Amino acid sequence: MDRVIYLRMRQRVQVLQHQKVTIGEVAQIVASDENERNIKGYIIHEVTPEDKHLIVIDVMRVIGTIQKKNPGMDVQTIGPAQTILEIQMKQKTLAPVYFVLVWLLLFTGSALAIMNFHEDVSMQLVHQKIYYMITGHYKEQPLLLQVPYSFGLGLGMILFFNHLFRKRLNEEPSPLEVEMFNYQQDLDQYVIVHENKETEKKINGN
Amino acid sequence: MGIKVLLIAFIGFGGGITVGSGLVALITVLGIVPRLMQLSKTYRFIRSYEISIILGAVLGGWMNLRNVAFSFPEVILAPIGLLAGVFVGMLAAALTEVLNVLPILAKRVGFGKKIIIILMAIVFGKITGSLFHWIYYINH
Repeated sequence: MDRVIYLRMRQRVQVLQHQKVTIGEVAQIVASDENERNIKGYIIHEVTPEDKHLIVIDVMRVIGTIQKKNPGMDVQTIGPAQTILEIQMKQKTLAPVYFVLVWLLLFTGSALAIMNFHEDVSMQLVHQKIYYMITGHYKEQPLLLQVPYSFGLGLGMILFFNHLFRKRLNEEPSPLEVEMFNYQQDLDQYVIVHENKETEKKINGN
Repeated sequence: MGIKVLLIAFIGFGGGITVGSGLVALITVLGIVPRLMQLSKTYRFIRSYEISIILGAVLGGWMNLRNVAFSFPEVILAPIGLLAGVFVGMLAAALTEVLNVLPILAKRVGFGKKIIIILMAIVFGKITGSLFHWIYYINH
């Protein structure tokens, strides 16, 4: 019983430059108290400036380290087979100029896009027609319909992404958060396969 | 004569089926109804929502083709406009989401947590663009 340890790799771990990363940081361990304390302290990787932004630690490497120091230990792994180490660079502060530029780009872009859309579907004619259908008169510029419509546009977008009424309506994640999560998962999957030299074997051996 | 009428009716019916299923497919793909149900926690009214969409489409289509005109007071156009705007806004938001624009942009630009600022840029852009279009652009 003493020789069995259960190990589960964490999904994503943030580390600092020059940090000595221990097994306890990249994985959850369940074992007898003494074993657990020892194993958690083993150093699995030291972050050097040569490392790229992301490092993949494969579970095989962790098992190898454990086995070397405790021959015959029975390691049971559960869950993901690797951990991604993300090296935290010095917090880059976003230059305000840069930020304002991006903001203006998006602002102008979406304004242009909505105008193109309105022209494309002849929204003016549709609005004139709605005005006529409801009131029975024709009006060149049915602003009473169009101004609320414009504010409704913004409201609809906010409503869809559920940023305004978060607490009041419900606590489920918004589609945007789910989308961000999925995108991050895809990126992680890519990194796991491509940054991990052990998972790819090429014919000529590199 | 009879055959012509039948043929015209058949063509019209066929066209209607195509356009109708297209509209439903569009609304389904963009997932606006599930989103609204999730926000308002009214999953059990899904049938009524279906009926509402169908009635709206049929009524709108009929009134548009027949040139029906009521003589309601002008004021009720404001809520109609607001509702129409919210719907189009949700359509636009859903479309942005399908294209996965925001997550990629936020990551590239390094905004991360501040994605709401990006969202606000787009929201204000839409409102301003739309107001500018109706109040100024149309007249010039």
